[in-house]
Amino acid sequence: MNHAIVLTSINKTFGTKQAVRDLDLQVPRGALYGVIGPNGAGKSTTLRMNLSILFPDRGRIEVLGADSALKAKDRIGYLPEERGVYRKMPVAAFLQHMAILKGVRRDQSKARVVDWLGRVGLPEVGRKKCEELSKGMQQKIQFIAAVIHDPELLILDEPFSGLDPVNMRLVRDLILDQHRRGTTVLFSTHVMHQAEQLCEHIVMLHDGRKVLDDTLDTIRARYAPRALRMEPLAADTDVAGALSGLSCVATLERTDDYYRINLNEGARLDEAIQAVAARIAPSRLELLRPSLEDIFIDIVSHGAQQEATT
Amino acid sequence: MSKILQIAWREFAATVLTKGFLIGLLLMPFMIGMAVVLMPMLINVKSPAIHGGIAVLDRSGEVVARLREQLDPKVFAQRRRAIDEKINAAMPAAARALTSKASADARVEQSLSQVLGQVPEIEVSLIEADAGLNAAKSRLLLAKSDQAALLAVLVVHSDAVQQPEHGKELGTYDLFVSEKLDDRLISDLREAMKTAIVDARLAVRQLDAGEIRALTRLAYVRPQMVTKDGAQSKNEIANKLLPMAFMMLILISVMTAGQQLMTSTIEEKSSRVVEVLLAAVSPTELMAGKILGQMGVGLLMLLVYGGLVVISLLSFSLLGMIDPWLLMYLLIFFVIAFTTLSALMAAIGAAVNELREAQALLTPVILVAVLPSILWMPISNDPDSIFATVLSLVPPISPFVMMLRMASSTPPPMWQVWLSIAIGIAGMLAAIWVAGKVFRIGLLMHGKPPNLMTLIRWVRMS
Repeated sequence: MNHAIVLTSINKTFGTKQAVRDLDLQVPRGALYGVIGPNGAGKSTTLRMNLSILFPDRGRIEVLGADSALKAKDRIGYLPEERGVYRKMPVAAFLQHMAILKGVRRDQSKARVVDWLGRVGLPEVGRKKCEELSKGMQQKIQFIAAVIHDPELLILDEPFSGLDPVNMRLVRDLILDQHRRGTTVLFSTHVMHQAEQLCEHIVMLHDGRKVLDDTLDTIRARYAPRALRMEPLAADTDVAGALSGLSCVATLERTDDYYRINLNEGARLDEAIQAVAARIAPSRLELLRPSLEDIFIDIVSHGAQQEATT
Repeated sequence: MSKILQIAWREFAATVLTKGFLIGLLLMPFMIGMAVVLMPMLINVKSPAIHGGIAVLDRSGEVVARLREQLDPKVFAQRRRAIDEKINAAMPAAARALTSKASADARVEQSLSQVLGQVPEIEVSLIEADAGLNAAKSRLLLAKSDQAALLAVLVVHSDAVQQPEHGKELGTYDLFVSEKLDDRLISDLREAMKTAIVDARLAVRQLDAGEIRALTRLAYVRPQMVTKDGAQSKNEIANKLLPMAFMMLILISVMTAGQQLMTSTIEEKSSRVVEVLLAAVSPTELMAGKILGQMGVGLLMLLVYGGLVVISLLSFSLLGMIDPWLLMYLLIFFVIAFTTLSALMAAIGAAVNELREAQALLTPVILVAVLPSILWMPISNDPDSIFATVLSLVPPISPFVMMLRMASSTPPPMWQVWLSIAIGIAGMLAAIWVAGKVFRIGLLMHGKPPNLMTLIRWVRMS
């Protein structure tokens, strides 16, 4: 009962393509989960199955204690990846329509629309037709449509796609607002640093399979830093020459701004830092934490190697 | 249920509360009204009177003087009035009453003077010998403004009046006319020649032309239908038109609302609103709501146009022709026809990505819907034929055909009506079932537009 979503051995096939394979997933109530993975990994399919827009070929789905989202539709909010509005409909009428479809009582719907339009800084657009709004405004309207009924579970498919930085921050704040209210939030993105900024828990999908399912902290701890970021004090230092012969250094990469020193397996971080600092005077020297992107690429390439060897 | 009603309401409001729809809805009654008001005015506009000459070569020698009499303006006018009266007699009683309500006598006077004002003034010249014929014919080619120009050249055969020998048929005449001659003048000439020649023939046999005309005249007879309520004047035109009107009522409202349903489904799909909707309601609820909403649109049209039919019948005092029960059946058959066809339209709308792709799939549906209006004639000529009976039981055209039969003067037995309703409802449920499947799968499918085979595969999928 304390899980908002429980998926058990979910499989879904479209024609010859298997979109989701043997997926198990449990999202506790009140959690903020990010589903990441490249395009075509099965993220949208998984989210849609949670909403009973699509149905799995095999497996069990439990949403908000019900055995199908159909029974809990009014308690779920959904922002699809490809979102639309009725172009010719006035904004307020559209939002009211969506609110009523989500079980809000007709006499309350109007007040909620006014309240929400004020919250996102668009109090005066209610009478405008949806097609008159800019794309950013439309995105906000669509977000309102997803949360206007105060859902217990909010499912967002690529909520940041197509947003400029200002609106991206606004949507992020709105999502965090919902999270603080106690809403369970599950969102997908293929831009991994967005998930890194927002989520407590990451689920990574690759080719329909779950390859990672852990809290961000655990993931960071498991994928301990194995590289240093170093900027020498003097720009003309011969870094490669100075570091040659150090047993802890595996390879050296040069980027535009800094050197990336990849460490050998088993090298101790404290010794490595001291050794590097002893050879070159740095203006900056720090541990390079692996980004989710690095972890993802690591997992995928490992998977590919394993497949190649078996 | 409240969600279905909310979807229905949005669908209805989004369709009806647009300028285009309101204009379209009111345009037809407006145009019919304009036609009723303007047509008589247009018909009464005088066409320019014709002046000109004709040349006659009278080989019989008996005709030309009588032709001159017949082409006298006064005789001309009388002849045209006689034609008017004939048309009048064939008109339904109520319509006749309407046109000549004001003051019958005054109208007759008026129309006579009107007709007199525009009768052609024709000078008849004689061609003395065969030699002059070609010269006369060449005068047909002259420009109208030319004094010597002729409108027509008549050649009466020598045997047109008197039989050359016993047992041989009587001759006739030739008519040569200039290009672009008014058709009415040609028929006037024909009429005049007929009278002139027949009169000449009668005169040769010492018979009184006036008496014979009087003896051969018979007034136009209108059939009187004998019913349980007593003899009733039967009105053929109204009897044919009323069933057609009923069928067209259903057809227009079904097709308009059905098209709207398809368009709005395509719009929801292509603008991707549909995924948001599906997170709130099931596809079945969505389809039900949309069909219900557009049914409201269709009913509105039915009300407006049906009301118009009732009002116009009222003004012709023919309302007695409609059985109030017929209106109830109209409603039942509308619901059946609408739900069946609109479910299919919704499915088509959900299957395609844009309106253009819908055309190919739509053709069979439209064909089915238009079929009854093509078959209107054979069915209304014989509403009890096996052909009509079978068609009135086969969905999806059964509602249209049954409506035709029921509004006709020989309505089908009640068991056929209820059988048709039962089969219609079964067909309707089947259509909803099939459409529901296509609808559910199609809504989230993007990309290549499906063909008929794909649709069938979707239906067979669980």
